[in-house]
Amino acid sequence: MISLLTGIESSASALDAERMRMDVISQNIANANTTRDVDGKPYQRQEIVFESVLSALQEAGNPDAGAKTVQVARVLKDPRPPRMVYNPGHPDADAKGFVAMPNINIHEEMVDMIASSRTYEANLAVVKNARAIAMQALSIGRHS
Amino acid sequence: MDALSALKLVATPSTGGLQANAMQEMASSLTKSIPAAEMQQLTAASSDMPLPSLASPSTVGGGGAGFGEMLGGLVNDVAQKQAAASSAVSGLLSGQNVSLHQAMISMEEANVSFQMMVEVRNRLLDSYQELMRMQI
Repeated sequence: MISLLTGIESSASALDAERMRMDVISQNIANANTTRDVDGKPYQRQEIVFESVLSALQEAGNPDAGAKTVQVARVLKDPRPPRMVYNPGHPDADAKGFVAMPNINIHEEMVDMIASSRTYEANLAVVKNARAIAMQALSIGRHS
Repeated sequence: MDALSALKLVATPSTGGLQANAMQEMASSLTKSIPAAEMQQLTAASSDMPLPSLASPSTVGGGGAGFGEMLGGLVNDVAQKQAAASSAVSGLLSGQNVSLHQAMISMEEANVSFQMMVEVRNRLLDSYQELMRMQI
């Protein structure tokens, strides 16, 4: 199979990964006030970890061939303790009237979201450039 | 769903909904429309020129395969890319697990490789016409 847009696999995988990161951030923001997760405890903030993947040529023992792609390694739970808020009327309040709120800081999530969308944009710019380069190379042969 | 199928036609890049079999027909007519003798000449001419990159790429080529076969292989590759793009777009529109950028990138790949095929065809026809214009 011919491949005219080389190096685009890396960018495509990065776009996938950033999309997933955005999904995790949106889940965190959506659950910022969830005091009861499926296990009965307050929602815990989720964090995403990326890892690089070798191309088929690299796995065959040629470390310089092709470009590495990226994928989601796993989604971790943030181990920070929950925020305790005094609200004795809340159904999930403990004996002293404190409610365990999720360990989510909205500002932190917003900053993560900005970083994620900027990374997405950067990868899109790479894709656009690869396309522009290919089209310019094709225009070498055009004489009119 | 009529609107969606119309969209799919529009989305198929630059070919205006040219389908795979139509492209294969085009390939065979391309190789047939040039008589065998001239094709031989062309092949000889092209093998005289230093064109290693033309002889090596993609799945076809291989040892001893003619230039016509290689061209057919190129057209098949392009047709495959078109089919991949259209399945990505229909997967996206029917709500399967295809992301927007995957569909767009496969469409772009199809577009660029189609342009590449058109350029190769233009070069080939130009050189053929140049040969036919030659004074004997």
